[in-house]
Amino acid sequence: MATREAGKKMIMLKSPDGMEFEVEEAVAMESQTIRKMIEDDCADTAILIPNINSKILSRVIEYCNKHVPTTGATGAAASDTVAPAALAEDLKIWDAEFIKVNRATRFNLIQAASYLNIKGLLDLTSQTTIDTISDNSLEEIRSFLSTKNDYLPEEEQTIRRENQWAFQ
Amino acid sequence: MATAAATPPHGGLPEEVVVWEILVRLPPKSLLRCRAVCRAWRSATSARDFLAAHHARQPNLPIAFQEYHGSQSLLAFDNRGAAAAQLQPVARLDDDSSLEASCDGLLLLTDYGRGVPRFCVCNPATRQFACLPTLSGFVPLALGMYRHGPTGEYRVLVCPRDEDPATDACYIFALGSVHPLKNIGWLPEVDEMCSSAVLSRGSLHWHLQQYESAAKVIMAFDTTAESFRRMRGPVVPSSDGLFAGMFEMDGILGVACSNDKDKIIGIWMMQDYESEVWTLKYRFELPFEEIKMQCDMRQVRVKHGDMLIVVVPDGNCELLVLSRFGNGLFQINMDGKLVGSFYREDLCLTQLQLKQTLVPHTFFPALEGYVVNVPPFI
Repeated sequence: MATREAGKKMIMLKSPDGMEFEVEEAVAMESQTIRKMIEDDCADTAILIPNINSKILSRVIEYCNKHVPTTGATGAAASDTVAPAALAEDLKIWDAEFIKVNRATRFNLIQAASYLNIKGLLDLTSQTTIDTISDNSLEEIRSFLSTKNDYLPEEEQTIRRENQWAFQ
Repeated sequence: MATAAATPPHGGLPEEVVVWEILVRLPPKSLLRCRAVCRAWRSATSARDFLAAHHARQPNLPIAFQEYHGSQSLLAFDNRGAAAAQLQPVARLDDDSSLEASCDGLLLLTDYGRGVPRFCVCNPATRQFACLPTLSGFVPLALGMYRHGPTGEYRVLVCPRDEDPATDACYIFALGSVHPLKNIGWLPEVDEMCSSAVLSRGSLHWHLQQYESAAKVIMAFDTTAESFRRMRGPVVPSSDGLFAGMFEMDGILGVACSNDKDKIIGIWMMQDYESEVWTLKYRFELPFEEIKMQCDMRQVRVKHGDMLIVVVPDGNCELLVLSRFGNGLFQINMDGKLVGSFYREDLCLTQLQLKQTLVPHTFFPALEGYVVNVPPFI
């Protein structure tokens, strides 16, 4: 955990399994949900993040730490010397590594990004799932998302006929 | 891993997250397919508010088309995400119609196949197609199509194709409306409006062709008040001043001008819309020699003066120049670097963009010859 530095406001995030994470306010505010809580003054002590366990929350914080704009305090020295394009390229590589997780973790991250409203993390975590749905057969989609086919065979045929060109 | 029976539905993702974070981001074709996965998905993805949110997330894709054995393929240039850009086939139409205007995923076409040219409207994503009533008295030319905010109607702005003092005026009609054309008076500059309409901040914009002046002029049409006004364009030195296209990115209007002799492109952006202040944002040389070399290697025939460019947002808050040269389509970034190329026979690049939609429009079934997924779709 980063040590408290002078002039930086820290925020305490608590997961339901009792872990506490002290993060810089700027990092926590990568989440639009937390930003709103802070701006509405609902965040004077610790913020409890429901439904997100400590393992996932720590990964979310890791993402926010990496993606917080580097103007001002943290990493200012680095960003002054590195071209924006190179920085963006570096982030892309980091993101690609970050998302190398199993399906369960990825789904947990999607859920966390959705609840915390972190657009970049949501785009990153949902893309693999979107690609999987776009590229696979209905049977594969159902198995990937553990979804049961509750259509009668003739009903499914009707829907396929209605949208015939989408199945070509 | 637990057995299938014990696995929670959607792998543990709440249904709301699946629908509003995953399905809403799917391309239209994949979304239609997904309706056959299960009942819950079908009903969720057929709801109007979901379809509106889905449409809002669709990118504006530049449209190209390719003539092909009596038909034409509509292609969308898709540059989203990390993958390499693609020329995606969006629909195939018979070759009797030509593209006139585009708005919110709807395309306005002129059908030349059945006697008097007439307008048709289609949605390539839902494969709906219908003809518009013929306009009595004249053959119309479409200046643009827009959504009229106060009524929610899709409206087409037209003028007569041929000069005729009896009908010289601009007219508006609504798709599916029974009301006759609304005459909004003559606009002398209509003959000089040489570009496709670009929608920005609730107005359609055209570049006015003016040969003698360095100061460009833009004609704007307020889609709420439905009236024209002139706007200041950028002041471009005459050597650099050949108009090459207009575009919109994140609410900012842009004009591209070229210097054909030196193959220089200048990109001007309207930094302040209210005060009509323009700044030169980029100026770079097209990688003409590299493009020519690539064409030579592929034995693509190249004629001089064959180069056509379109400036488009690349979907990642950057601009991109698309340049058609012979049978090649070249992607050039704002540093003047060639970043991609496609080769297709008889490829045409339009200045129109497609923001695909699956929203059902009520006007379609009311129109003459309304069909779904049958010719002219192939």
